[in-house]
Amino acid sequence: MAVSRHTRRMNLIAHGVGLGFALFSVLPIVWLVITSFKTEAEIVTDTITFLPQSLQLQNYRDVWAQSNYPSLMWNSIVTTFYTVTICMVAGSLAAYSFSRNAFPLRRELMLFYLVVRMFPAVLIIIPLFLILRTVGLLDTRFGLSLAYASFLLPLFVWMMKGFFDAVPPDLERAARIDGCTRIGAMVRVVLPLVKGGLGACAVFVAIGAWNEYLFALMLTSSAGSRTWPVGLQMMVGEFQLPWGLLAASGVISILPVVALFAIVQRAMVRGLTVGAIKG
Amino acid sequence: MGVGVDSGRRPFTGGRLGRAIGAMSETRSWPFLLIVPSLLVILLVVLYPTLHGISLSFREMRLTRPDLGTGFVGLRHYVDLWHDDIFWRSLANTFKWVTLAVSLELAMGMISALALNREGPLMRICTVLVLLPWFLPNVVAANMWALMLDARLGVVNELLVRMGLIDSYVAWFATPTSGLLAAVFIEAWHGYPFFTLLILAGLKAIPKDLYQAASVDGAGSYQAFRNITLPMLRMIVVTAVILRVISLANSPELLLILTGGGPGDSTQVISLYAFKTAYESFDFGYAGALSVVTLLLLMVFCVIYLRVSRVLEK
Repeated sequence: MAVSRHTRRMNLIAHGVGLGFALFSVLPIVWLVITSFKTEAEIVTDTITFLPQSLQLQNYRDVWAQSNYPSLMWNSIVTTFYTVTICMVAGSLAAYSFSRNAFPLRRELMLFYLVVRMFPAVLIIIPLFLILRTVGLLDTRFGLSLAYASFLLPLFVWMMKGFFDAVPPDLERAARIDGCTRIGAMVRVVLPLVKGGLGACAVFVAIGAWNEYLFALMLTSSAGSRTWPVGLQMMVGEFQLPWGLLAASGVISILPVVALFAIVQRAMVRGLTVGAIKG
Repeated sequence: MGVGVDSGRRPFTGGRLGRAIGAMSETRSWPFLLIVPSLLVILLVVLYPTLHGISLSFREMRLTRPDLGTGFVGLRHYVDLWHDDIFWRSLANTFKWVTLAVSLELAMGMISALALNREGPLMRICTVLVLLPWFLPNVVAANMWALMLDARLGVVNELLVRMGLIDSYVAWFATPTSGLLAAVFIEAWHGYPFFTLLILAGLKAIPKDLYQAASVDGAGSYQAFRNITLPMLRMIVVTAVILRVISLANSPELLLILTGGGPGDSTQVISLYAFKTAYESFDFGYAGALSVVTLLLLMVFCVIYLRVSRVLEK
């Protein structure tokens, strides 16, 4: 049949295009990984070699032992942990309330949570700098995570609301008939059911906080709170760039992101689309 | 469960605090109480700073010149802005940067989503791989591409030479036009998965019988695409474009790391100019005025765009 041949050809083309985009997305990252295993002489050369002669771990050793990268990573871990905690506690409660209750100004409030994302980061950073300085939280990991909540919390609320919406309210009614308080029904019945969604949203927030550069650059200044993106950018000198070191630190830093994304990608993609489409 | 609870409803956790929260959850104000923590955070770290930032744009505030004080200067920053050549150049660059990047990302997102919208494990794996760049930090993406596009060591130059597309290595970030285009290309690599993701979700939500009905009526695949797929995707595409324009106009990160505004101001966008005014010159008042203008322009854009695309009509 002519139609099915046409369909089959379209299918073949689609697979080719899909594969092409996947390669386009991934190959630069592969090149980063390859570069991290090369020696400086192999990177800075007139004749480019595509694969390293041997797997050199020197760059990784140097990053780990000779730079302050471990402490940068630790600061990032702590900041990310604070950010996720703030979003999980404050965000889940709000998302649950938005999902389950009809109350005056609900729509307006939800819209407000979206609109705040339109405010330019630079406009927020300057006063935040002044406020954090006044209360003594400038150049601290907790102060930085508060700043991250400004753009991650609204997103968390919108994504999480989608997951709460998917749980039928009958379950809570049953729990309430059995004698649970409202908060009891939420914690005992609903939260276990949205575990996957909660994990996905937490991972999304964690990646956002882990990757952030601009706020960190402006709001931290000492080794005690500086996060890895700022530290990595500071390695970039004026003239000779330490490409091997940069590549190795890049790979180390995106490893947790890729691993977390791989684990929760399906739930996260669903949450992202729900949050974004409704927005 | 259910044993040893003395009175009324079961709290979610033991102890007096648990019972108190449990009792509180039975009151009428409970829905509001749940929202209070997040609302407090947002008011504190978004709304108050924004209002403060707007008020800063009408005041003098230079950290390097405390002698000037922080007095009210009225519209002086805005008047300065009007006579500031760099501002007008940044405005034009912002327009170019956002338009080029968003169009490219939308096109790539649409094509990739249409291709990836098939059953089977291969396309599922490809979808995950396609999404990967979106989760990479700007710092890594920018430096990675800076190495690959390097005028001396860049693998992209090597590949293009081997394919015969260019004669010798090109210094992509040396001229204004190629610098801007290279930055747009990198941004597109980084940002198109966002469009892929949303459009893919939109495609999966279109009922299959619409296409069957169309093919019974004798519509070809192009006609089906024009008359079914595109109209069904309109809402999602409009939403995605708005979100992306906002974040591109507001975030100077990639350009800050990649070009710092160069070569010769060719990639100096307003957000970057504002950030440098705040971070390098510590002139918070003027940086505030630049950001307020960005915010106003974005609002105007959103209103016009929503009107033109007519998504809010019934």
